[in-house]
Amino acid sequence: MAAIAISGLVKTYGKQNAVDNLTANIAKGRITGFLGPNGAGKSTTLRCLVGLSAPTSGTALIYDKRYRDLDNPLSQVGTVLDSRGFHPALTGKQNLRVVAAAAGIPDSRVDEVLEMVELKDAAGKRMKNYSLGMKQRLALAGAILGDPEILILDEPANGLDPAGIAWLRKFLRKLAEGGRTILVSSHQLAEMQNTVDDVLIINKGKLIASGSMKEVVGDGSLEDAFLALTGGEL
Amino acid sequence: MGALLKSEWRKLIYARAHWGLLIAGILLAGLSTAVTPVIFDNPDTGFGLSLDQTQSVDAVYANAISAYFFAIIIGIMLMSGEFRHGTAVATFLTAPKRGTVLATKLVIAAIGGMLVMVISTAAGLAGGWIALSFFPDAASPTNEVFINTMLAAVVSGAVLGIIGVALGTLVRNQMLAITGALLYLFVIDPILLALAPDTGKYLPQGLIAAMLALDIQAPEFGIDTTAYLPPLTATVVLLGYGAVFAGLAIATSLRRDIE
Ligand SMILES: Nc1ncnc2c1ncn2[C@@H]1O[C@H](COP(=O)(O)OP(=O)(O)OP(=O)(O)O)[C@@H](O)[C@H]1O
Ligand SMILES: [Mg+2]
Repeated sequence: MAAIAISGLVKTYGKQNAVDNLTANIAKGRITGFLGPNGAGKSTTLRCLVGLSAPTSGTALIYDKRYRDLDNPLSQVGTVLDSRGFHPALTGKQNLRVVAAAAGIPDSRVDEVLEMVELKDAAGKRMKNYSLGMKQRLALAGAILGDPEILILDEPANGLDPAGIAWLRKFLRKLAEGGRTILVSSHQLAEMQNTVDDVLIINKGKLIASGSMKEVVGDGSLEDAFLALTGGEL
Repeated sequence: MGALLKSEWRKLIYARAHWGLLIAGILLAGLSTAVTPVIFDNPDTGFGLSLDQTQSVDAVYANAISAYFFAIIIGIMLMSGEFRHGTAVATFLTAPKRGTVLATKLVIAAIGGMLVMVISTAAGLAGGWIALSFFPDAASPTNEVFINTMLAAVVSGAVLGIIGVALGTLVRNQMLAITGALLYLFVIDPILLALAPDTGKYLPQGLIAAMLALDIQAPEFGIDTTAYLPPLTATVVLLGYGAVFAGLAIATSLRRDIE
């Protein structure tokens, strides 16, 4: 069963089709890597999926519903986007408490997720004083606040150091073990090859490959397959 | 909506900038009432008013309301801050029904504006009382002036907070919204008011003046407030502006993509 169903999705900016008639299904309980060159339309697709951008045409549904029709979205979908949505003058903890209150989540859960992303010591620091990696961890903490079944992550490894990337890998695996559906975009192909079950590759807004890692990659590396498919250099 | 109210309330009290506005409002209101008796006491600057008249002393206390612009700024900051800092992303991911979020924000901005006005106005009344205690010959104020001034503070604070949110939704750029509101209220509107007083009294500044004059007769300020709308009517018209702005915002700005 598909947890996420994207159907004929088009998003136009001016004359440019950032997403061009994209149709794809994301299987429940699996980690799907969402790949494509810079400007391929990954972030735009994800924004349409969570209702921040309005599709020009087509649909992007989560369990057959538009995001905005979900009852308590945070308890079903956790999201990390390239823009993080936190207030610089508020502490990490305050930022999460604002979100928690809106979703009816108790404050004790805020402390819990801060501990899970290893930000407990920086919880009282104002967000503007966070390093890039700390901001990314805070965003991840926000995404798991409602203990959702589905995670939508746009380049979550962005800004993490090697130890952070290793931590993220374990973190995602643990989340996935609980049967969660994870849709994650990334440019870290070697990392993705080790982490994801399925891949979805787009270029210039169009779908160019989808399937299990094995189907798309065969015996080679994900990087080779990716470059061959997107016409990058080999 | 209860959960959203709690969330918006936290946004109001967590941000230090909002506390800064409150302190600025207290200082402004306190200073303006403290200085007014000195001005009235000087025959060169007193517009022919003197402190032995009850209406002059009342006018000193009515000045306690002078921080009303801060109520608009609170409203603007609550809304345009979402776009400025990108918190709109988290806000609308958590509560995708944008109209509901806006409605909640209007309520919290009304409360925030009201609090700023009530506290700063109380500080203003205290400032006036302290300043007047240095003028033993000063007349006694009427009893009503305190009640009416506080009443005006409550109503104007709530209405102006609402208008601020509506403005901040339409003009997402925070500095532009605040500067625009300042320029409009204190430069453009007074000019229109002077050039065409008949229509001017329906413009925001004339309405605010009329509303602030809730039962306070203050023609001695050099403005003929008697020609203005009655306070209640002015409040309703001003709320009407807020409703139109908010409606426009829902129909246009809130439909746009969130970056
Ligand atoms: N708000 C916008 N207005 C105009 N064009 C936009 C807007 N957002 C995205 N685009 C364009 O849409 C295309 C797709 O952008 P998008 O951010 O979705 O790519 P991406 O796959 O996420 O790239 P990256 O890997 O660099 O993050 C780009 O050409 C981009 O310039
Ligand atoms: Mg992107």
